Amino acid sequence: MADGTADGAADGIPPPGPAPVGPAPAVRPYLVTAGRVADAASGRALPLETQVVATAEGLDALGRLSFEQHDIVAACRLPQSLAELAARLRLHLNVVRVLAEDLREEGRLAVYVPDAAATRDASVLRRVIDGLRAIPDSRGVPSDTD
Amino acid sequence: MTPTEPPPARGPAAPAAVRPPLPVKMVIAGGFGVGKTTAVGAISEIEPLTTEASITEVAAGVDDLTHTPRKTTTTVAMDFGCITVDPTLKLYLFGTPGQERFGFMWDDIVEGAVGGLVIVDTRRLDDCYAAVDYFEHKGIPFAVAVNAFDGKVEHSLEEVRWALDVSAGVPVVVFDARERGSVRDALLVVLELALARTEG
Repeated sequence: MADGTADGAADGIPPPGPAPVGPAPAVRPYLVTAGRVADAASGRALPLETQVVATAEGLDALGRLSFEQHDIVAACRLPQSLAELAARLRLHLNVVRVLAEDLREEGRLAVYVPDAAATRDASVLRRVIDGLRAIPDSRGVPSDTD
Repeated sequence: MTPTEPPPARGPAAPAAVRPPLPVKMVIAGGFGVGKTTAVGAISEIEPLTTEASITEVAAGVDDLTHTPRKTTTTVAMDFGCITVDPTLKLYLFGTPGQERFGFMWDDIVEGAVGGLVIVDTRRLDDCYAAVDYFEHKGIPFAVAVNAFDGKVEHSLEEVRWALDVSAGVPVVVFDARERGSVRDALLVVLELALARTEG
């Protein structure tokens, strides 16, 4: 279990050797979006669970797409949430939001913004409840850390 | 025997035709180290994933010139998992980042959630006040789940309810964040509450 308290860098001298967490990203996150940011503060940004899936057009164009765009379309052969996409590609969520919007405008990605009213519908909630009830008790989960 | 009908489509459907499931979102909240990621991991069908998200912090004071709260955006790590209910429906569980500072907004994470589960460690009850306040303020159905570390709970549920000052309609349960069935049952309490609200 990692100890999140102060480590040796407090004296201002960078510790020798590799960084403790892993290499810093070679490219600053928002460089790949040309400095554009998702409008998260206003609540109009795409929700985390928004589903994205590559279009046939997007997959055809794969060879012509640049790094992040290429990776996003390639990862979206199967539907993904924006959160899964960001985690798997190790990109900041807001970077994925901006790039997904770009790719949608170019017709390379289908973006399904969740309908909040639909998810709060009683029949949907009942299906989730029934689905959860079908999950068996586990026979001991090894994880005991947070 | 007139071969006029076009042959039915065969082979795999075009990728563009893959219709994603309807995502349903629940939020797991609570203080740092209280068992959020453990709970997500106990029931998620995938290993919990981590992504960088933004939260907005509201500074304690107000700006003297504009009389508006100062807001700053902070990048935090957020863990999440999912459960496929069926090919058309997928439940996502998002763990909110532990935050003890004065004010913060998870709106970007919580927007559209059907419910929340606030995990509590009775040894550090005050860590969860912010989460309880947040869900109450937003009107999101939520339950309080006391994590029984090592099978023990140091305070009765009545004491926890009194200390947190939650309204009578908020369920308070004991659970074990490591046990899949226990996490399932705690989530079901929240979903039943959300369902009851839709039925007025």
